[in-house]
Amino acid sequence: MQQAKTLSARPARPARWLNRDRVIALLMISPSALAIAVFVYGFIAWTGYVSLTSWNSLATTSTFVGFDNYLSVFATGRFQTNIRNLIVFTAFFLLACLLIGLLLAVLVDSRIRFEGFFRSAYIFPMALSFIVTGVVWRWLFAPGNWPDDPTGINLLFKQLGLGFFQSAWITDTGVVPGWRVEGLRTRIGVPMAMIPVVVAAVWQMSGFVMAMYLAGLRGIPDEIKEAARVDGASEWQVFRTITLPLLQPITLSAVIILGHISLKIFDLIVTMTGGAPGNNTEVPGLYMYEITFKANKFAEGAAVAMVMLVVVALLVVPYLIYSRQTEVER
Amino acid sequence: MASIKYDHVWKRFGDFAALKDLNLDIADQEFLVLVGPSGCGKTTALRCLAGLEEITEGNIMIGDRVVNDVPPKDRDIAMVFQSYALYPHMSVYDNMAFGLKLRKTPRAEIDARVKEAAEMLGIGQLLDRKPKALSGGQRQRVALGRAIVRHPSVFLMDEPLSNLDAKLRVQTRAEISKLHQRLKTTFIYVTHDQTEAMTMGTRIAVMRDGVLQQLDTPQTLYDHPANMFVAGFIGSPAMNFFEATLVRGDGKVLVDFGPFQLPVPPSRIDMIADHIGMPIFFGVRPEDIHDTHYVPRGVDDTARLMTMVNVVEPLGSEVYAYVENGGKEMVGRLDPRTSARTGQPFEVVIDMTKMHIFDRDTERALI
Repeated sequence: MQQAKTLSARPARPARWLNRDRVIALLMISPSALAIAVFVYGFIAWTGYVSLTSWNSLATTSTFVGFDNYLSVFATGRFQTNIRNLIVFTAFFLLACLLIGLLLAVLVDSRIRFEGFFRSAYIFPMALSFIVTGVVWRWLFAPGNWPDDPTGINLLFKQLGLGFFQSAWITDTGVVPGWRVEGLRTRIGVPMAMIPVVVAAVWQMSGFVMAMYLAGLRGIPDEIKEAARVDGASEWQVFRTITLPLLQPITLSAVIILGHISLKIFDLIVTMTGGAPGNNTEVPGLYMYEITFKANKFAEGAAVAMVMLVVVALLVVPYLIYSRQTEVER
Repeated sequence: MASIKYDHVWKRFGDFAALKDLNLDIADQEFLVLVGPSGCGKTTALRCLAGLEEITEGNIMIGDRVVNDVPPKDRDIAMVFQSYALYPHMSVYDNMAFGLKLRKTPRAEIDARVKEAAEMLGIGQLLDRKPKALSGGQRQRVALGRAIVRHPSVFLMDEPLSNLDAKLRVQTRAEISKLHQRLKTTFIYVTHDQTEAMTMGTRIAVMRDGVLQQLDTPQTLYDHPANMFVAGFIGSPAMNFFEATLVRGDGKVLVDFGPFQLPVPPSRIDMIADHIGMPIFFGVRPEDIHDTHYVPRGVDDTARLMTMVNVVEPLGSEVYAYVENGGKEMVGRLDPRTSARTGQPFEVVIDMTKMHIFDRDTERALI
């Protein structure tokens, strides 16, 4: 009784927001927070500011010109071509990576022998830099003097007796179907030289998608598939009605991850084609580099950078919001 | 509706045999419970019937048809899984309608059947929900509903109640029994819980290490277990077992425990005559051990034993008393008015007409 009295008599200390634990936490987090604030968000803000100025020569000027740089960039045929190339690259790259990644994952998941070997073999290209991939595939897709004196893949086709598959590959200037649209200064269609670039990028990234899908497949309880079989589903129906829908979150994550890689693609294209032939494989990332550091049009380069940021943000931000919400639900 | 036959069925996983020469005849509309401890092969037996595992030898028949090579989808069975295995991306309605849609059942009929089953199970208001928004009991009902709407010829249930809390389990147990009466279909039910087995099954198959130990009605399993394993598995608390020898003395036959002896009732002597002079296992159920002051009418109270009480567990309606004589401990289910107190001497009556005698080598029941 006595003790209870003593305990209740002691006044409760008011809970302070800035207690010792919080101070330590803030101290620990502040160096990285500061660095990110300056070197990421600060520089984004600076780029945004530059894109609104007239700084398009070596001489630093800061005259405010509004959205003039954006308008002039969008008006050039070269940037319009870049956008077309980027859309083509992203569409083919995403589609091929998802399909091949899913196919490989299903094959590896079917409890084959040497599963570990195949899994590693498919993921391995991801360990390489896009620079290395670009160089190797440039050699492979260099057409040589085909059909008679070919190099790379064309040589392979010739020796296999599949000469009719030979093509100009990264030197192909064609755009299929190459429609002209009023008001646009580029042809609409698929630039053929982009196909080898897509092949190289898919070679590098589809193993990663396989790993994601494999994790997803392993996460689906066997009992759910068994229940579907007992319910009357064939193997194909189990895959289509149970497995595929349950892999949807994986597909979404893969699209976001591949999408942002694709929209910012630079190194692979620099080493593989350098944007050639013409501007048929050039993308905004490369264009930004060229006009900023070769033509010294800093403000226009900054405008391209901001356009890329917005495009990537349109893809990533909804995903971040979605995953935050699902995290809260969990 | 169909009968089921397991005909010399073996299932091996590499060197391990999960089912060893299983023979079972299950009549149409029967509620058969497969029961046994973990790893006894009961779930494997069910999965083989469902077509989720291929059998290594023998035949499984549904009706007149051998189904060894028939895929699960063509066996006309429905199964309720332990984890319920609901399709997480589908609503309750779609979960239940899934099997019917695959069979291209007309939409109106699907709707009618799903609603009827939902009504029967009291989940009519949940049809639009996803499984993650349901409680364990509700999920369990959806899993049942998914099976019911198909009107299958056989229902398979793999420990469907094991993820429910104790109260809900008792309630659902009764509901599944009612469902069986109402649907008049063959039910095969797997459980490790002997209470579930006893309360639900029209017959029970007790399994151990892939071998069928006994197939009989609940009461016969309880009264006449075929061997020590079944005797120990059925009943709670489990039967008390002692090593003993059958001896003759004073013109009677006695069970000699070493420190004490108990008389074999004259009516039982014929059954064990061959084993007199031989070592045996003696078994007595806790409910056949009584307080001398509260011996139920009609029970033979001649076999009395002085014991020391080790532990008393009052349960309200009865008392479990762990008593001991000469190092032989046994548990008795006593009348709640018993005077047994921990650490005190206490005299019990053992109803020897209910005793069980097992061969020491084969562990098979002699009585």
